[in-house]
Amino acid sequence: MTLTLAPPKPRADGRTQSGVAWLYFSPVMLSIIVWVYGPLVFTAVLSFLDWNLVAPDIEWNGLTNYHTLLTQPEFGNAAWNTVKYALWVLPFATVVPCALAIALWKRPGRTSEFYRMLLFLPVVLAPVANALSWQFILDPLHGTLNQVLGILGVEPVNWLGDPATALPTIVAVTAPKVVALNTLLFGAALANVDRRTVDAARLDDATEGEITRAIILPQLRRPFILLGLLSMVVVWPWLFTNIGVLTRGGPSGATDNVYYRLYTYGFTFFDAGTASAAAIVIAVVFGLLLTFSSLLSRRFRATR
Amino acid sequence: MRRGDAIGRHALVITAIVAMLFPVVLALATSFKPVTTIFDLNPIPVPASLENYDLALGRFPIGRLLFNTFVMAIGVTVTTILVALPGAYALVRFDRARGRGLVLVAVGASLLIPPQALIIPQFLMTTRLGWQGHTIGVIIPQLGVSALALLLLRDHIRAIPQSLIGAAVLEGATSWEILRHVVLGLLRPALGAVAILLFISTWNEFLWPLLVMPDPEDTTIQPGLALFLGPESSQYGPMLAASMLASLPVVAIYVLASRRIADAFLHSGVR
Repeated sequence: MTLTLAPPKPRADGRTQSGVAWLYFSPVMLSIIVWVYGPLVFTAVLSFLDWNLVAPDIEWNGLTNYHTLLTQPEFGNAAWNTVKYALWVLPFATVVPCALAIALWKRPGRTSEFYRMLLFLPVVLAPVANALSWQFILDPLHGTLNQVLGILGVEPVNWLGDPATALPTIVAVTAPKVVALNTLLFGAALANVDRRTVDAARLDDATEGEITRAIILPQLRRPFILLGLLSMVVVWPWLFTNIGVLTRGGPSGATDNVYYRLYTYGFTFFDAGTASAAAIVIAVVFGLLLTFSSLLSRRFRATR
Repeated sequence: MRRGDAIGRHALVITAIVAMLFPVVLALATSFKPVTTIFDLNPIPVPASLENYDLALGRFPIGRLLFNTFVMAIGVTVTTILVALPGAYALVRFDRARGRGLVLVAVGASLLIPPQALIIPQFLMTTRLGWQGHTIGVIIPQLGVSALALLLLRDHIRAIPQSLIGAAVLEGATSWEILRHVVLGLLRPALGAVAILLFISTWNEFLWPLLVMPDPEDTTIQPGLALFLGPESSQYGPMLAASMLASLPVVAIYVLASRRIADAFLHSGVR
């Protein structure tokens, strides 16, 4: 009887590896092809059609939808509001959470853990419940905010009903979610900073302000840009919920933005063509902005 | 650290916490106030009353809504992990597989496409499949965002020591056995954190269930609240009580698991 010790099989060979790998890749690839890339192509096709989502008659419409869309004052207004939303949101996505994360990082321990838990809570809270709580606080007649301001001698403000205040108010209602998420993510970025350099600086009698400026902030430049960009991806659905519950885009379009406009075209006017044209315009502009900013940040890294 | 700095630090953090959480705390307190004192500035609900909760439970099919939301959240969590985990594992395990780069790009780019740009076709597909008004219609299309879970899981799988996997390979284990017996065991904490995040974010989903299940009597809790209590409603008591009931399950889960969630982010490659 002979006993052979089989050599380990060379199973990591390229071709079989690829075959097996694709078995594992297929569920996720199938999911995103069916529910992301397929719909994207579908949207592009719809944007050239005249169709109300239900009727059997569908007509080829050429570029009419794009022309209608881009000449409508409502879409121009929504686009300009989108820029305003982005500018209002940006500090809550960068400066505020960065300061909070640094404050938590400087003194690790139980207190910081507890703070961190509370600071992330707004991400978890049910968004419609949050919007409704604010509706109570902002009520023009009896709302808590106007009552408090009344005691201070300030005239009542119709926060959500006045075009001058409505958009910043929607941002204020949404901001806690952005701050909460990015505080956690800045915390993750800070985990890379070497605590010993900070301890050494403290021994050298550097003030906390100097330490923050000279040691910590330079290491947060990239996360600063990345998290600013990330907020431009995650914030729109959150804004959408608050707009949908609190103002429905009003008063007279003051809180509208391109995403809410798209929804209005599609599901209030049942105009699939114009809504899809809006979707394509949004996706293209968004893609260009992302490409541009990633090129910029790469350039920035190279010249540093 | 100097004393002044320490005080400044606490003041900053506490101000932020108060500014971010006072609406919820105020809403919680107010939900226990009787109708007569609901607009009183004194936020403390004494005498406390459950009147608003009675009204809310009587007026909204809140049990039905919570049940639907639970089914949706569990459904999305389980299907997303089933889809994302094998993909994440293969990206790490088969690092020379042909087309791996394509998978990475497809997965990453899928997250950058504004989801609002996809809702009309997704809605039409869901309707055509006959899923309109059913929980399956809110579950399956949400697989489109499984890429995020995949990227989080991939970072955690990458952190597993190569030696452990190498040993299993030498013993002749197949890639499936390695996934089941080696990776899955070590991945349990991260998998738990990802599952909790998926559950919470799905629980809070608003737009998609609003489109697919628009019946106020048989939808999920977020659109349910909004459909019952639009901007015209001024019955704040029951509205706030219902809001608190809608948030309670996820807040409870979060408080119990917050440590784990923070760890999952801190040790992932998001940095």
